[in-house]
Amino acid sequence: MAGPKIGVYLCHCGTNIADKVDMETVREYSAALPDVAVSRDYKYMCSEPGQDLIRADIRNCALDRIVVASCSPRMHEPTFKRACETGGLNPYLMEMANIREQCSWVTSEAAAATAKAKALVASAVRKARLLEPLEDKTVPVNPTTMVVGGGIAGLEAALKIADAGQKVYLVEKEPSIGGNMAKLDKTFPTLDCAACILTPKMVAVGQNPNITLLTCSEVEDVSGFVGNFKVRVRKRARYVDVSKCTGCGDCAKVCPVQTIDSFEEGMATRRAAYKFFAQAVPNVYQIDKRGWPACRAACPAGVNGGGYLALTAEGKYDEALALIRERMPFVGICSRICFHPCESDCRRQEVDQPVAINGVKRFLSDWEVKNNLTPAPPEGKKSGKSVAVVGSGPAGLSAAYYLLAMGHAVTVFEKDEKPGGLLRHAIPRYRLPEEVLDRELERLKTMGVKFRTGQELGRDFTLASLRKEGFNSVLLAIGAGSEVSLDVPGEDCPGVHTALSFLGAVSHGQAPPVGTGVIVIGGGNAAIDAARTAVRLGAKNVSVVYRRSRAEMPASIQEIEAAEREGVKFTFLASPVAVIGTGKVTGVKFVRNELSSDVDASGRRRPVPVPGSEYDVSADTVVVAIGQTVDLGSFDPKERQELAAGHRVKAGEWGETALKGVFAAGDFVTGPASFVEAVAGGRRAARAVDAFVRGQALPEPEFRMPAHEDPLDLSHYDASPRHQMPELDVAGRTRSFAEVEKGFGEAEARAEAARCLHCSICMECGECVRACEAVAVDHCQRDEVVELDVGAIVVATGYQQFDPTAGEQWGYGRYDDVLTGLQFERLSNASGPTQGRLLCKDGREPEAVAVLHCVGSRDKNYNEYCSRICCMTSVKFSHLVREKTRAKVYDLFMDMRTFGKQYEEFYNRVAAEENVYFIRGRGAEVLKDPKSGKLMVRVEDTLLGVLREIPVDMVILNPAMVPRADSQRVAQVFGIQKSADGFFLEYHIKLEPMKTATDGVFVAGTCQSPKDIPDTVAQGAGAAAEAMTLLLPGSVRISPMTGEVRESLCSGCHMCVLMCPYSAISMDEDKALAVVNEVLCRGCGTCSATCPSGAMRVRHFDNSQVLSQIEGVCAE
Amino acid sequence: MSGKDTFEPRIVAFLCNWCSYTAADLAGIARLKYPGNVRIIRVMCSGRVAPGFILKAFHEGADGVLVGGCHPGDCHYLEGNYKTLKRKLVMDRLLDQFGIEKDRFRLEWISGAEGEKLARVANEMTERVRRLGPLGRTRERLARADALELRNEGGAASG
Repeated sequence: MAGPKIGVYLCHCGTNIADKVDMETVREYSAALPDVAVSRDYKYMCSEPGQDLIRADIRNCALDRIVVASCSPRMHEPTFKRACETGGLNPYLMEMANIREQCSWVTSEAAAATAKAKALVASAVRKARLLEPLEDKTVPVNPTTMVVGGGIAGLEAALKIADAGQKVYLVEKEPSIGGNMAKLDKTFPTLDCAACILTPKMVAVGQNPNITLLTCSEVEDVSGFVGNFKVRVRKRARYVDVSKCTGCGDCAKVCPVQTIDSFEEGMATRRAAYKFFAQAVPNVYQIDKRGWPACRAACPAGVNGGGYLALTAEGKYDEALALIRERMPFVGICSRICFHPCESDCRRQEVDQPVAINGVKRFLSDWEVKNNLTPAPPEGKKSGKSVAVVGSGPAGLSAAYYLLAMGHAVTVFEKDEKPGGLLRHAIPRYRLPEEVLDRELERLKTMGVKFRTGQELGRDFTLASLRKEGFNSVLLAIGAGSEVSLDVPGEDCPGVHTALSFLGAVSHGQAPPVGTGVIVIGGGNAAIDAARTAVRLGAKNVSVVYRRSRAEMPASIQEIEAAEREGVKFTFLASPVAVIGTGKVTGVKFVRNELSSDVDASGRRRPVPVPGSEYDVSADTVVVAIGQTVDLGSFDPKERQELAAGHRVKAGEWGETALKGVFAAGDFVTGPASFVEAVAGGRRAARAVDAFVRGQALPEPEFRMPAHEDPLDLSHYDASPRHQMPELDVAGRTRSFAEVEKGFGEAEARAEAARCLHCSICMECGECVRACEAVAVDHCQRDEVVELDVGAIVVATGYQQFDPTAGEQWGYGRYDDVLTGLQFERLSNASGPTQGRLLCKDGREPEAVAVLHCVGSRDKNYNEYCSRICCMTSVKFSHLVREKTRAKVYDLFMDMRTFGKQYEEFYNRVAAEENVYFIRGRGAEVLKDPKSGKLMVRVEDTLLGVLREIPVDMVILNPAMVPRADSQRVAQVFGIQKSADGFFLEYHIKLEPMKTATDGVFVAGTCQSPKDIPDTVAQGAGAAAEAMTLLLPGSVRISPMTGEVRESLCSGCHMCVLMCPYSAISMDEDKALAVVNEVLCRGCGTCSATCPSGAMRVRHFDNSQVLSQIEGVCAE
Repeated sequence: MSGKDTFEPRIVAFLCNWCSYTAADLAGIARLKYPGNVRIIRVMCSGRVAPGFILKAFHEGADGVLVGGCHPGDCHYLEGNYKTLKRKLVMDRLLDQFGIEKDRFRLEWISGAEGEKLARVANEMTERVRRLGPLGRTRERLARADALELRNEGGAASG
């Protein structure tokens, strides 16, 4: 069989190639290459006569391979492919040599360029000899387009496509479409207002039945290929049901949270419930919520601290109390004894000190009592079920409260004469007055909780008897009342007490005589309570001895400090080895400890006794407060076996035990813990009991939003110190059990509540829910992820403004009245923060204003490019200042670039206005004159050749248009490249400004390069045309340059399957061969590079073809 | 080959269609200059560059081989460039065993916007390979070293 007949066609490209490359030499060289039948050169091979040369030779010389040596195949490969096709040759039998971009233009010497051209042609000829005819594949396309970005470019694209009858998804990150243009005041050169020309388009988009609008939405992932993309879109929760919201704004009116208004460029505040701007489309509100505030996330019970602070600051005390009681029924108790982790995590401490959250809660409780208010009992439809709660400590009472609220009949069993558990026996009265506890218990009784006191489990009743009595479920909340002993000689000596027995006796008015010296052993809150109680009983020397160091002490820091103020001494790193005394304690023998280098199970360093370091301390009373454990003595042995796990009670997340219908909560489950944890546990178990008695499965875990941890912009907050809780003076405390904390007054409490930063914006205070008559607010809304099938994608994600704080010279952020362009647009806008009046921050009208061009543009330090719009916006600003004020305007420009239709005319018009001074020179520096207080703008007037300092009242900077901060992520998601300036890279800078490297993905507007509104609109429409050109034929040709398996060589090793990024290769298990799905295959060739046997090939880039190319480039 | 006095190394560059080949076009459009003996072969993805291509280039007389791919995360085919990087690490060891110096084989991430980087890499690489001399000389040196080793049989192998 005869070899192929190759025609070689060398393009001069005018002089672009021919000036450097000796075309005749290359032609002669190529004519002599094997299988070359024809070799020609021509001035413009891409021109019609040039293409005709090729077509004629195919016909007349029976050529079956073509090599074109010209510009880059990225430029004219489609042209020459078409030429071959129309000449009757399969277009894949054509190969190109790039002798312009990669030869004549980059090579200095003519000889080297000619040599390289020869090599490149040789390479192409060698490859051409091995080319095979291929047929394009046709796949159907999905006729829907996705437009990403709802600025003017995206709107235009979406409308054009929709008006042509095609479906469009328009995805916008913000809550409304409109983009940056929605912020503008007037637009050059016609000075019609942006809103007047933009909002009709926004409304048209909102009403067009072919457009599906997805606001608050972002594209997360794109897969598939041209005509058949799968796009994953995250619709962020807006906490308002768009279908129900009427846009009335009642939610915003009652929202207590103020935050910075980003739409007003930080020059105004808005509420957490807000509409993005007046003309927003869709015309609905949303709630700006960034997770849970730190206080709420820190609370074991999930009490919404930020929420009740916001309500208290507004004077809405009833609502605040109701919000607390959703998670914490006992406001009076909690506000007195809680160790308030909410305050420890409060983000106000990033500014000064944490908000006194618990103090505000205490005020609310006091206010309720003072005004003799009885909170409405929680409503619950009667279930007809009854529950026995055993134990009336915080966990039991909490469970009783919530069970009652759920509609069940609740009976609380208590072994003592009065309910309250440790709240009554162990918490000293100076922290929790008895009447506060009694008031909460009275309320429970009024609500309908029945108490049976003096009833002890195991003695007076059993689990079996409760069941027999008809209780549908039992909740055990009997605490951890068994105290751990010291296990040292002399421990049973009179005068040695355990903490609970000591505190209990004092609470019941049977305080033992303590003498003058009291030693408390232990480091928890019970130890501190015992020490402070001893002080009140008249002891002169009270010391707390703890075996580790202060850092490891479990007691809360506030309690430790209060004890110290009352005169309690602390001794660390000592353990008792014996109690001294016969018949009556006289002292304790201690040994000193040091901390081990390793840590124990609790994560703390272990105390290790130092031999020979024993010492004696005299004492009249010793209180042992080293911990409590669970006592299971009240259960029968079988129950005990099922309930116990070592020293603990075995219970699930919801408090469910191994005994059917028996649940457990509080210290009984957790071991000694805090009041708030016990209340949380009681509520949790109540929900489980509720589910059980109703015959339902255990509830889903309760939703907890992650805490908002992003950095806060602290510059918006002024320091305002925390209000100190008024306390009884120390002298008054030590001989009395009167309550130490006196509580805030109303003014203090409201001021303290107002210190809240609203760190997560919305605090979920519930005001909007109550205000919304349409029931549109839904705080439980979650983000939603949808997957959409589209055929084409238009990326129109826009720009952002260069941040002038990047350069100190502009004074932005340092001086008032130095504004960015967009800030000026808002200031000048009739719907802006000043209703369109141009005022300095202090309310004066400026007497002189400077407008600076090129802030961050045409500047090697920032962005080298020209942002194209700033000259015109500057001229517009100068005009607007003159129109609205009597100020003199200094317009500082480097070059005046007024290139567009009617632009120069506009400039000339403004230049003729009175008191507008155009100065050619870059505004170099903005300073403040300390004497006059005026801003001073330094500029070199390059026409006069003088340096000037111009005093002004306002400076308007015209910052560069820069790529959006997330443009890198967006580029990766859509497979777009970025040009050196960071904007998205078009396929060809002049001829393909909307196409990208990924087929079916187009760009439009300022994400591609800085441009003005007319150009942006044009490109948006252009992108729409691109999308429709692709989609309307109903099918798309896709490249046949895919993988292929030579079955005879395939060993079935799976290597290619593992390599393929598109899962396009699978195994035919019967034949043990790899199979390529040619629709999924994109032709990258990674499989072929991996295949050990050479069975996997890529059409048009086959091993033999590339190897012959290598021979070609090395031959010359 | 033009220079008679100085050695002009021949460098074969495999550039991926989407990033580095585009960068080479951009270098041309910007009229940046690099030596004429850097010869470019277009592949769709740097992941297409089989180890055999690199060995073939050296075998055909290349003094250096450059592979250009998209930056990590930017690959037009999702992750072809990561596979290229893995192969590069293996190739480095293989070429080392052949006695081919590290500087003769280079992998670079060059985006479609980095025409300047492509020209710089081409210039740098030419300079380094020029300093190493022709690959043929490496072969001769290796042959001499082998002979030396044979003579020193029994003695400690010198580096």
